[in-house]
Amino acid sequence: MHDSSSSPLLRRRLRQGRDRLATALITAGGIGVIAAVMAIGVFLAVEVLPLFWSSSPGEPEVSLASLWLPQPYPGLDEPVYRWQPALPEGEPGPRFSLAPLAWGTLEAAAWSLVIAVPLALGAAAHSALFMSRRLRAHIKPTLELLEALPGVVIGFLAGLVLAPWLERHLGLGLTLLLLLPPGLVLGGALWSRLPGRVRQRLPLGWSALWLLPWLLLLWGLANGLAPWLEGWWFGGDLRTWLAAHLGLDYASRNAIIVGMAMGFAVMPTVYALAEDALSGVPKSLAEGAQALGATRWQTLWRVVLPAAGPGVFSAVMIGAGRAVGETMIVLIASGNTPLMTASPLDGLRSMAASIATELPEAAPGGTHYRLLLLAALLLFVFTFLVNTLAEVVRTRLRRRYRRLGGTP
Amino acid sequence: MIAVLRRCLPAWLLVLVGLWSAPASAEHHVGTLDTVGSDTMAGLILRWGELLSEHYPGLRVQLQVAGSASAPPALTAGTTLLGPMSRPMSEEERQAFVDRHGYPPREIVVARDALVVVVNRHNPLSSLARREFDAIFSETHYCGAERGIHQWQALGLDFPAGPIVLHGRNAVSGTHGLFRREGLCDGSFRPEVNEHPGSAAVVEAVADDPLAIGYAGLNHLTPGVRALALRDPEGRLHEPTPLAVRRDDYPLARDLRIYVNQPPGEVLPVAERTFLELVLSVEGQAIVEEMGFVSLPAASLARQRRILQPTRDET
Repeated sequence: MHDSSSSPLLRRRLRQGRDRLATALITAGGIGVIAAVMAIGVFLAVEVLPLFWSSSPGEPEVSLASLWLPQPYPGLDEPVYRWQPALPEGEPGPRFSLAPLAWGTLEAAAWSLVIAVPLALGAAAHSALFMSRRLRAHIKPTLELLEALPGVVIGFLAGLVLAPWLERHLGLGLTLLLLLPPGLVLGGALWSRLPGRVRQRLPLGWSALWLLPWLLLLWGLANGLAPWLEGWWFGGDLRTWLAAHLGLDYASRNAIIVGMAMGFAVMPTVYALAEDALSGVPKSLAEGAQALGATRWQTLWRVVLPAAGPGVFSAVMIGAGRAVGETMIVLIASGNTPLMTASPLDGLRSMAASIATELPEAAPGGTHYRLLLLAALLLFVFTFLVNTLAEVVRTRLRRRYRRLGGTP
Repeated sequence: MIAVLRRCLPAWLLVLVGLWSAPASAEHHVGTLDTVGSDTMAGLILRWGELLSEHYPGLRVQLQVAGSASAPPALTAGTTLLGPMSRPMSEEERQAFVDRHGYPPREIVVARDALVVVVNRHNPLSSLARREFDAIFSETHYCGAERGIHQWQALGLDFPAGPIVLHGRNAVSGTHGLFRREGLCDGSFRPEVNEHPGSAAVVEAVADDPLAIGYAGLNHLTPGVRALALRDPEGRLHEPTPLAVRRDDYPLARDLRIYVNQPPGEVLPVAERTFLELVLSVEGQAIVEEMGFVSLPAASLARQRRILQPTRDET
């Protein structure tokens, strides 16, 4: 009672104090994160720099040319790219070319995007524009949940289940690849021929569900066709045929396997971001287009997609950033062969996988150690640039939506 | 799959064997002994440790597995008295130890191991000469082959038809180094060799693919693969049988060792001494066989025991 006059003042003071404390903590946290990120970059740069201007005795010389251009080695006929870091004592120096690792990293990322982007964007467009609200409420969180699946799990499934399976069922894999796209188009065509009453039972918004049996049917068909196709077209065994006619050796751990596994890992990210961008396009635009007589497809292709273009682009960029930095999947599913071939049926070795396997064994301060940190620095710079680009584009998109009168 | 998982985990692995229990009967048999070293021998040390705790409930073994290369530094620094290694110590490693302690480490051989070339169980190939191995796996052909062998047909087989798919260990492993020295005449592996983090993964990959060939440790053999006999220049075959490995009749056999930090004229602490006695006993050698390695003959066991005598002069 007696402090009733001072209590509001006291409380305000207290609240202001708390606010200030919270502000300080948040600021400190923000600055801390930025400082940590910069510290990582600075640490890597400091560790890498001695590589180029001071060489320690007994360590192999490294130059820009030796890292990125083919080198002559004893015992080989012509200059080649080689990453062979650990040689026994008393051997002519180790072979340090970063080119095959950089190639492997980019190849793995490229194949995973080739596989993930069409699927993720297709799924995003479908669930943002065509899918029934009720189904979308279930499907979207499920797909986004997949993002939490650890890379090591996907890697193991790819390396120890998918790779041996595909190796044994190469013909089936090819048949599926040939059969699925036309099969799905055929499914759509059949649906549009159905009588109206049946079509009402199978609305477009629920096609994700009622297409499943159709997919199983196609799978069964492919299963029946595969031996026939392999026998008739490829002389019994696709793998032998590839080797004999195209000169392609099928390595059981190859770029396609990595692409499939990493594509699977990247897909939820790309999907979630692209979906947000597409469903964030102000409804007035799509409705206006449809009111003017545009079909669903025209609305998507000519109106919604261009409006959300930057968001979709940044989704793909962030997917690329993740694919480049992903370690466990490439480590397990790629065979770790430092090759520089364009064939997607060959193995590859990425920078991240090399860092993971070799850094614990490399002597700190040695050339091998510094080269691995250089690879880390390259990865860091690359993902940093890609993510920054994606973020800039996204911010711009948000501003555009606000101008157009959208909600987000 | 579990074996592969185990090998993919970070190299730090700390295993505790046995439990503290009331040291009632064996009053002086109490203590913990540390070993640091080879991951090839991890399973062996683990089983020996279990045996030790069975006999002397007061004793337990603490084991750190980070690869053979981690044993010499730990011995030199004095953090452990026992360093299991799957390869001999290099001259530099030995010198570092001598510089620090003033006497060399004692080296005892505790088991025999062999490295084997494996093919899929459906593959009819039965033997391989070193020149062929080199032609298959290397890009340098230092062992004398004129050109590489990249197709199974080139080895005179009708089946399997197709390219030879190569599997091996990653470059930091001792197995990789040994094959490079013995099998490739110090040449270099083709970059097409799939590099796996462990022998178990190599064997698994070869078991999955009729076109595959790989190399691994003897104790990782499974029914899915077959170990090839090695053919010497005179045409004799050397099968990796236990007898051939024990007699050094198989070219890729090696000793598994434990390096011991024991000053001349002194005896080891009771835990270490008991452990080594057990390792060199009949029971200890039975475990060697059980783990897929090859045990030592009685005569050489006796010789190893003599190395541990306190009075023995080190040269």
